[in-house]
Amino acid sequence: MKIRHPRCARSTQNWIIAAAAIASLVAVSATSDAQQDKPRYGGVLNWFDYGDPARLDVHAESPLVVQQATAGVYSSLLHKDPDAPTKIAPDLAEHYTVSADGKTYTFHLRKGVKWHDGQPFTATDVKATFDRVLNPDFKSPKCGATLKPLVAGTEVVDPHTFQVRLKAPAPDPFLSAVSSAWCRIAAKHVLDKFGDLNKPEAQIGTGPFKFKRYERGSVIEWEKNKDYFIQGLPYLDGVKQFILVGGPTQLAAAKAGRIMLWDTWPPMGKAQSEELKSARGNEIDVYRWPINTIWIVFLNTKKPPFDNPDMRRAVHLALNRQELITKALDGAGVPCAMLDPKLVGEAALPLAELERTPGCRTGAGKEQDIAEAEKLVKKHYPNGLDIEMAFRQVGNYSDRSQLVAAQLRKIGIRGTLKTHESAAGYAAFGKGDFTLIAAQDRAMDGTDPSDPFSLIWTTQGGSNWGKWSDPKFDEVADRGLKETDKAKRAKLYQDAQRMFLSGAPSAIPVGWVEGWFFADKKVRGYKPSPSAYDNITFMKVWLAP
Amino acid sequence: MRLLARQPLGVAGAVVVLGLVATALLAPVLAPHGPKEAVFGQFVPPGREFPMGTDNLGRDVLSRVMWGARLSLYVGLVSVLIGVTIGSLWGIFTGYLGGVADVSSQRVIDCVMALPPIILALSLMAAVGSSVNNVILALTILLTPTAARTVRSVALAIAASPYIEAARAAGTSHVRIVLRHILPNCLATYIVLVTTNISYAIVVEASLSFLGVGAPPDEPSWGGMLTAGTQAMETAPWLIFFPGVAISLAVFALNLLGDAIRDIADPRLRGGLG
Repeated sequence: MKIRHPRCARSTQNWIIAAAAIASLVAVSATSDAQQDKPRYGGVLNWFDYGDPARLDVHAESPLVVQQATAGVYSSLLHKDPDAPTKIAPDLAEHYTVSADGKTYTFHLRKGVKWHDGQPFTATDVKATFDRVLNPDFKSPKCGATLKPLVAGTEVVDPHTFQVRLKAPAPDPFLSAVSSAWCRIAAKHVLDKFGDLNKPEAQIGTGPFKFKRYERGSVIEWEKNKDYFIQGLPYLDGVKQFILVGGPTQLAAAKAGRIMLWDTWPPMGKAQSEELKSARGNEIDVYRWPINTIWIVFLNTKKPPFDNPDMRRAVHLALNRQELITKALDGAGVPCAMLDPKLVGEAALPLAELERTPGCRTGAGKEQDIAEAEKLVKKHYPNGLDIEMAFRQVGNYSDRSQLVAAQLRKIGIRGTLKTHESAAGYAAFGKGDFTLIAAQDRAMDGTDPSDPFSLIWTTQGGSNWGKWSDPKFDEVADRGLKETDKAKRAKLYQDAQRMFLSGAPSAIPVGWVEGWFFADKKVRGYKPSPSAYDNITFMKVWLAP
Repeated sequence: MRLLARQPLGVAGAVVVLGLVATALLAPVLAPHGPKEAVFGQFVPPGREFPMGTDNLGRDVLSRVMWGARLSLYVGLVSVLIGVTIGSLWGIFTGYLGGVADVSSQRVIDCVMALPPIILALSLMAAVGSSVNNVILALTILLTPTAARTVRSVALAIAASPYIEAARAAGTSHVRIVLRHILPNCLATYIVLVTTNISYAIVVEASLSFLGVGAPPDEPSWGGMLTAGTQAMETAPWLIFFPGVAISLAVFALNLLGDAIRDIADPRLRGGLG
């Protein structure tokens, strides 16, 4: 029998003890990690709205704050998958079928779904919603604007089956519209009772959260819907959205840990994100993200001086998009693009071509553009002219507007900046009560190339605030909407962009907006979406301890 | 020299105020760049090329501070001259006339003065929209009642003087009494009100611009520059430092000057503290 040296035996024993200790530590840590990744129930998520929504009707309004205020309260037939927001997933419709000619979509609805007031959800509610947004007399700048050009009619097949007939097969634009966060399904009995969805009392949906409270200028609160149709969801007890107006206030709230998520417009600038990182350190993740939003300078074609195509062309030529994106967005954006290649692929004009296009050029080409613009202004206003340049007092629109004003001063357009409170600005712009809007972002509902055309640039566009109309352009955009061959469709949209940029547009693209955002590391189950409107129902979000 | 010995702080204030006025008047010549010219690099720290650095839009901070002096003094002077003049005339006439006119005008003044000044100014700006002239209008509305009440108290004392009674007895008209006897005697109070209120007007203008309802954002207002600076307080502290110093310096100097003028104008304080 081999006798071990006592020291040796002790040494081996120590190794065994050490190894066991490490193994148990690893096991404990692994268990703890598993627990960390296992969704937990409870807690309230705090984030913010950049302004007061005032009106809450998701079908009749277009500001992001309206979407944020109501997102978790409602459901749609289809929605962007919370686990993979680029994909479309079933929501109130369990599944859908498409007819052989591609023109009829049949949605098979979930059974046993209840509205927040306990009433049963049926296909009649879906029909009432579609009838509302498709009504030609009802101004629906988002859902209606994208569906009206596509839909020929709707029908209730049975209480749990709903059918939509399209004017022509248009799978991508139609599914993009139906899954849009703006095409939420509202209850027929609520619409009958209130007439619209503006009031907090009318916020009765089927979503994961119930609308609890709206204190103007202060906070919007949701509480958990315990009867949500997906069992086990949501995890959170509620969501609180503080109404924080102005970048410094928003940043101060983020630095103090008062808000846990900043994945909404307006994005932070680079300097702000660095300030936040140094204040919160490892507690947060900071990321740069495109938010499917385009910065537009709107010119009113119904009022002088921009009823004159030469003056509109002059503004288009004079704006130095590269400088605007560099200075106002810290370079985070795609200057001059009408469509962002990152989001819509080949339907966007190649950036190399864009850089050669008058108005979008840099260097010597830009100097030529500015000289040409100056000539156009002098032709009609030899001493230059004074105009009012409006913007809403939110985000960094003030900075952006000052830059636009500085650039247009070079060609003799002297702007006086006029500020609007957020909701009042939207109301004024919608009524055409402006000459020039120096800074206004328009966010897209999805990533289909038809979106910005349907929303901004066509005659019937929900945000065609400048009332610009070109039947030839509309015709090309309409063909793009209905074309099913992807390559032909991309070419049609490229043609539309060339036509637009060589003319005298009224909604002048400055560029696609990107920016910096953050999420508290405690916030789990949240995936940023390509659109600022999607995936903010927080149905799968939970808070780690 | 005698004045310097008696009012050294007042003279120091006057020198700074003169400097500010000169800067304001000569801003188009002295400022190295246009105040709205956004053609330089952003956030360039103070150095040889840009002694006060550049802002978030690439504008020269020194040029904006210089033009800011023009805006602040313009707003301060015009609003105070209009407000204090209207208020003084109001105070003199109602104080002299007395009776219902005086009582009712005092109640109107009570109502206006019961509102916190900055809230009143904010509400006015929200109603009429932001522009330099509207800031002047709001300030005028703020300053008029205070001036009316102060001058009325002086006018009341003068109106009760024996020589006014004598003038009345001699059949002198009310207008002549006011213009010939009361108004000149209220002049010292008027001058003091003007000098002491300019700094107040500058602070209110800066506050309104800081809150985003004052001068339009591209106008080089010191208050507006402070707001813009708060967005990058840690990375570009010069954006709040220089306009902050300008506001403090202007207000301090104007207060020193105002105090000195008050001391000189008030016979009870003559020969008192310097």
